[in-house]
Amino acid sequence: MAPVTRWLRLPASPVEHSVEGRGFVFSGFVVAVLAIVLYGQDYVVPVLGVVAAAIGHVISYRERSRRRGFWRQVVLAALVFGALFYVIADSSLALFGGVLPQANFAILLVAITSFDLKTRRNCYSSMWISLAILYLAAVYAWDYAFAVLAGLWVLCLVGFWIASHHKRLNAELKGPARPVALMLGAALLGGLLSFVLIPQPSGVPISPLVVSLPNFTAFKGGLESPALPLVQLTGDPSGATSSIDLHFRGRLGDAPVMYVRTGAPAYWRGLVFDEYRNGAWTATNHGYREMQPYVPPRFLPPAPPGNLGTFVQTFRVLRPLPGVINAAYPIQSLYAPVAALREDAYGTFHTPQPLRPGQTYSVVSFLPNLTPAVLRAAEPMDQEHLDAYPDNYSIYGDPSSVSARASNLADEVTQSASTEYDKVMALTTYLQRNYRYTLDLPPVPAGKDPVDWFLFDVKTGYCEQFATAETLMLRSLGIPARLATGYATGDYDPILNQAVVREHDAHAWVEVWFPGHGWVPVDPTPGVSPLAATKFPSHWAGGGIARLIPHLSIGAPAAALGSLGVLAVVPPAVAVALIAVLAYAWLRRRVWTARPRPQPGESELLRLYERLQRRLTRRRAPPETPREYQEAMQSALLAEVTQAVNEGAYAGRWPDPRRVRDLAERIS
Amino acid sequence: MCLVLFWYGATSEVPWLFLLAWWVLALVAAAAGYAAWNRSGLSLQLAVRNTVIGAGSPAEQLPEQVLQRGPIPAPVFEGDGFGLEIAIQASRGARGPVWALGLVGDRSISAGTGLVPKGGWSRVEALPALRRGPVAARGWRIHTSDPLGFFRGVRPTPDSEIALILPRFASLAGRREASELEASLPVPRAGSGNELFGIREYRPGDSLRRIHWRSSARHGELVVREYEPPGVQSLAICLDPQPPTPEVADQIARIAASEAWDCIQEGGQVVVWAPGLEPSQSPRDLWSQLEWLARYPNNPSGGVPRSGRQEVVVITASADDDLLANASRAWVVGDVEIDTDIPFERVGLQWPL
Repeated sequence: MAPVTRWLRLPASPVEHSVEGRGFVFSGFVVAVLAIVLYGQDYVVPVLGVVAAAIGHVISYRERSRRRGFWRQVVLAALVFGALFYVIADSSLALFGGVLPQANFAILLVAITSFDLKTRRNCYSSMWISLAILYLAAVYAWDYAFAVLAGLWVLCLVGFWIASHHKRLNAELKGPARPVALMLGAALLGGLLSFVLIPQPSGVPISPLVVSLPNFTAFKGGLESPALPLVQLTGDPSGATSSIDLHFRGRLGDAPVMYVRTGAPAYWRGLVFDEYRNGAWTATNHGYREMQPYVPPRFLPPAPPGNLGTFVQTFRVLRPLPGVINAAYPIQSLYAPVAALREDAYGTFHTPQPLRPGQTYSVVSFLPNLTPAVLRAAEPMDQEHLDAYPDNYSIYGDPSSVSARASNLADEVTQSASTEYDKVMALTTYLQRNYRYTLDLPPVPAGKDPVDWFLFDVKTGYCEQFATAETLMLRSLGIPARLATGYATGDYDPILNQAVVREHDAHAWVEVWFPGHGWVPVDPTPGVSPLAATKFPSHWAGGGIARLIPHLSIGAPAAALGSLGVLAVVPPAVAVALIAVLAYAWLRRRVWTARPRPQPGESELLRLYERLQRRLTRRRAPPETPREYQEAMQSALLAEVTQAVNEGAYAGRWPDPRRVRDLAERIS
Repeated sequence: MCLVLFWYGATSEVPWLFLLAWWVLALVAAAAGYAAWNRSGLSLQLAVRNTVIGAGSPAEQLPEQVLQRGPIPAPVFEGDGFGLEIAIQASRGARGPVWALGLVGDRSISAGTGLVPKGGWSRVEALPALRRGPVAARGWRIHTSDPLGFFRGVRPTPDSEIALILPRFASLAGRREASELEASLPVPRAGSGNELFGIREYRPGDSLRRIHWRSSARHGELVVREYEPPGVQSLAICLDPQPPTPEVADQIARIAASEAWDCIQEGGQVVVWAPGLEPSQSPRDLWSQLEWLARYPNNPSGGVPRSGRQEVVVITASADDDLLANASRAWVVGDVEIDTDIPFERVGLQWPL
């Protein structure tokens, strides 16, 4: 046992004597806490943590050479357990507001352990916990200003490395300024360029990202209110009985609804509707099954055949939302910080309560391989398929709600299409090309069917009307289809792999049943891809930047600076500092080049002459001429060197550096 | 750590970790480049910078004129400490961090700096008193790294001798029976012989031909040459070639140095030797004798001293009849029994005697 214990024991870590290194450790912690304050809107614990950590650092440094006291260790251990209790209580019962309990725990952990920061390893631990805090803040960071904080933290890490290394050498903390600055600048710039230009590899997600721990409020009744703002509330709060009435539509603002960190841009699907009656969509199947907050793959439908892998989405809710999990479908697994989840008959997940601002959930979705070629090759719908799936084909294939005009139009548009996919695409492109998208649409006249009114009268409409028209026309052709609602991708940033979803991104589209592929999203709304399937974005920033350029205008840089807030001073300050440094370097170089420079061989020869005097154990006395010194010392080599020195000093003929090197080798 | 961080950051759904990973990776790459650059153009020099004179050191007693002709920067005697200057030169511009590790004698020494400026960097490490003999610098290496300490480079430097610890000495004139020994010898004094004795200030009556113009110019007053008279003391100090222990060798060297000092300060000439070893050079130069004695008994072999009208003093720890055959007198170190008619004095290993 003893050898095992000895083997497991870490090697002793030296006491960290570098006050500069400790300063960098503390600074790294402050940067991480600042990130939490700015991006997590969490204030009390971070401020307390920084103050406590500052005191702890001072005490630790002053007592770094003393032995650890038993009672102090006991108190610190008790405080760590207290912090652990805090995080459990806060995350489960929201006793302290439930704001970023993990980050607060990490902050408290650093603050407590700051009182026992004795060795270099302790400092490293503190630094890595700071990194964890920064990571938690990064989950909530949706703008480029966070890069400034990340860069500052990296500089703190570098500072700690440098200070610690120099202290280990027992050397003063300084170095050749220009090379070190060049190294750091090259690293920061190179890292930034690599980040921007090189695509992020898509790793296989192991599980959804757990950011916040669940609370324990369970379902109290039926499903919670449906997805606003497209879906209208009915008298029944259950989402299953909610509806979309095409007769009217509310105004959609620009306010952000949620942030989505995603490996691929996709439509964030919410509720699905299958029955259309009298201009309104409803869901007929009210069945559901209750599940745990973490839904593993085994409880979900199997992976689509030939899928391109999986990707993670992390959603951060910005405004109160109905308890519906909007996500890319099909889902592989998901985690939501709630007590339980319910999956409705259409595969949509619901939470017990409305989603509150700041709440996050994470979903792993499959990336189906939905190319035109693959879908065109899908088997035709036959009786076997109809029997197998979809289970309520009677509704999906019900042509009764379609007018004869609409049905005829569908036949006419698709008469030349042979496969199911071609029919779907013919209808989709027909609607996209011949109908105009608008949000300024008057209410549907009384007595008019919204679909017919859209198709044959106004020929303009919004997404629900496009989607409804296509769904009904597909049904008239015998192709199972249904209406899906949720949100479009939003403003997708290909560099940060994130999207800002706003109210006006609320969207409706069609889901078409393809045998062997399941429900495939198709979007007839003009201006978007007809096959609105999830695609991997062009990770290469060349593509990403190209997407960003059209948005740039003269005011864009100013707007970008303004969005940085207080940190807006940093880029101009860096630019001014850079200009000042370059100007100083230029001036210095000018002065340096203007100064008379020693001729080749001069300084080398004089250094050699000094060295030779040391070797001869007697230096030339100040009044002694080189020749007198040479005569006194009686050295053949000295005679040569003296002659060279005299020739250089008095005749201006300094020897070739190679000759000096030869002389130096003879001394050695 | 970097690879783990990079892997996690690269596959993380939080892109900022990807940026952090790139930064760390770029730092590592930049550090590697820096470390490669930092390795070149460095050289190490070790030298005695100063001495810390110990109690009873001859350096306290020696006249300034004698010390000026001594080793640079100062002679180091047994019992003296000294400052070892560790100097690192950067021939291709400033470098750093750089540190050097190695042995001086049996002592491990290290010194480092974050910055070696273009003009070089040095640090003086105080060393305690060392034993008589040459002090070697062995196994010294120049270590370099990047500022973060990720990548290191090592360059060995050749071993060298950095100091010679001279034997202690003290005038023994008071211990000898001066009447016996010195009455028979001429007192060296300035005269009008052929060999240069030294210089002194000009006194009225001195011949103008004897004025040493160069020295006069240096001193700012007239200085004349003095020539030694014939018949100054010439002392041959013959040492036991094989002292039984290093402690005995040290004591023999001390006594020999004392004899040499007594002779030279009286204007005499000294040659120190041992059978089988090359004799010392520069008979009027105290420092030549001390350097020979510092290396005793490991001096180069060969040669015998020029014979002449000399007084021969033997210092031995063994009863060697051949050694004592031509001696005028002798010092015997230790308890060895000797059978001789010449006057001798027996001493132990304590110093001063």
